[in-house]
Amino acid sequence: MTANTVTRKSRRFPRFGTVLQFLVVLVVAAGIFLPVYLSFVSAFTNNGSFARDGLFPGLDQFALGNFREAVTSIPLVQEYLVSVGVVTLQTAAQIVTGALAAYALVFPKWRGRRIIFALVLVTLAIPGESLVIPNYELVSQFGLRNTILGVAVPFLAAGYPIFLMRQAFAAVPIEIWEAARLDGSGDIRTLFTVIMPSCRPQVTTAVIWSALAAWNGFFWPLLITDTAAARTIQVGISQLATSESSTPSVIFAGAILVVLPTIALVIGAQRFLINGLSRGTLR
Amino acid sequence: MAKVARRGTRGWRQRGIGPWLIVPALILLLIFVFRPLFRTLQLSGYASDILGNPTRWVGFGNYIQLLTSPDFMQTVVVSIVIALLGMALATVGALAAVLLLRGKLLGSGVFNVIFSLPFAYSAATASAVFAGLFAPTVGILNTLLAGFGVDGPQWLQDPIPAIWAIAISTGWYEFGFAFLVLTAAIRDIPSEVIEAAQLDGSGAFNLAGRILIPMMQPSILFLTVTQTITGLQTFAQIQVLTRGGPAGATTNFVYRLYQLAFGNGTPDFGRASVVAVVLILIVAAITALQFRLFGKERAA
Repeated sequence: MTANTVTRKSRRFPRFGTVLQFLVVLVVAAGIFLPVYLSFVSAFTNNGSFARDGLFPGLDQFALGNFREAVTSIPLVQEYLVSVGVVTLQTAAQIVTGALAAYALVFPKWRGRRIIFALVLVTLAIPGESLVIPNYELVSQFGLRNTILGVAVPFLAAGYPIFLMRQAFAAVPIEIWEAARLDGSGDIRTLFTVIMPSCRPQVTTAVIWSALAAWNGFFWPLLITDTAAARTIQVGISQLATSESSTPSVIFAGAILVVLPTIALVIGAQRFLINGLSRGTLR
Repeated sequence: MAKVARRGTRGWRQRGIGPWLIVPALILLLIFVFRPLFRTLQLSGYASDILGNPTRWVGFGNYIQLLTSPDFMQTVVVSIVIALLGMALATVGALAAVLLLRGKLLGSGVFNVIFSLPFAYSAATASAVFAGLFAPTVGILNTLLAGFGVDGPQWLQDPIPAIWAIAISTGWYEFGFAFLVLTAAIRDIPSEVIEAAQLDGSGAFNLAGRILIPMMQPSILFLTVTQTITGLQTFAQIQVLTRGGPAGATTNFVYRLYQLAFGNGTPDFGRASVVAVVLILIVAAITALQFRLFGKERAA
């Protein structure tokens, strides 16, 4: 009883510790927010005026010229479309191949499925950057250099979505699967009409992670593309950073255009992202 | 119970095409992960012609040549320094943010969004932003510092500031992931545990040190390992900010591999593959260490 009143009291009057805590959060937040703030304000003001004239420009300084310059300096629109294509292809393929694999690893019993699952886990521990040379050789041999398919093809299956969905499927009561199978539902129909719908949150998490990885990919798309025809937006923004190195505002404008969809995703779907983190163990 | 039920239906479960559904993913992983793994090992034992193609078997020749060169030793040190600095900045910063935010502070929703923002940035976009901040003469950061009468360092032209520039942009980029992981971890701590500690009269520091941090230890350990591995694979930051310079001061494993295999000079797939193998071995060693540490964690 007394303890209760004490906590209630201390809540009503913020203590010194709470104020200090608030100030420290404010400082850390300022540090994290600084690059975002500086780049946004600088992108929306005429190049060079910001920072020299202080941190808080007036509304009369508002300008969109940097965005116009960013869009014309690199074929941003075209590269945007390429990225959307890569994301669509890669995510769809990873989810389909991943769901099929996860189903095969969970429901039917067959010899060697533990070993195969171990192989899937091993792929999570191999740094992708160290595999690019043989993949570069192979994709070039197929004549897929500088194509959207060439950008996506090494990633049509990935360990992480398989892992996420395997864990989700393994938590589905076996009776549900047995009932569907006894009703005469085939494996593929059972997977897509019974199992996947019952794991919707985890499948959503897998979709978001696959899409983010596809959208953010940089090293491989940089190597395998030569022209804007198949260049992703991430490669485009890195080239903008080089070609416009004397006008930071234009770089910032380009970066904002690239990051807006993922900012929306992070704010809107944080629940699913955290979901993937506490269930899975690897990025 | 479940095991018994499974056994009973075993014969029936084996019918159908179920097991074959592994095939698409398996074939793709074999072609694009396991084949390259062995091919990289193979290539690392060959000399290369002008096009980068393997010519003659040199055994460990490439390894000996690379591992005894002071250049490569610098690459090893630079890789580790960048990885550890980025990891430390991200993990310590995120831990502070998460611990402090726990108390339902004024505006904690806003802070939550701010701390998650770096996660929205790809390595390339984060690098582009920092390129604008660190740029020589026109960089926003030094312009800002000049306003306070401070003469900022030549971020990208002097070796030590250049390493800090890469580490800061890597740490900032990794911070978002660290914050999300630790947010998930602190939410998993039962509120009764925290309330009990508070009834015992634990102050904020005491609570963090004795209860919260020990209970989040698996997540902190996980972050330390994965962020170090991510940091070892840093590439976009270096490609955009410094191109490995000045004088190789920021050339790490992946950038060295990139230069050897895809840079301006004649491609050397053999020696680039040695770098790849070294990276694989280091990541494998760290992963093995992680499993040992996690094993201990579970036993405790």
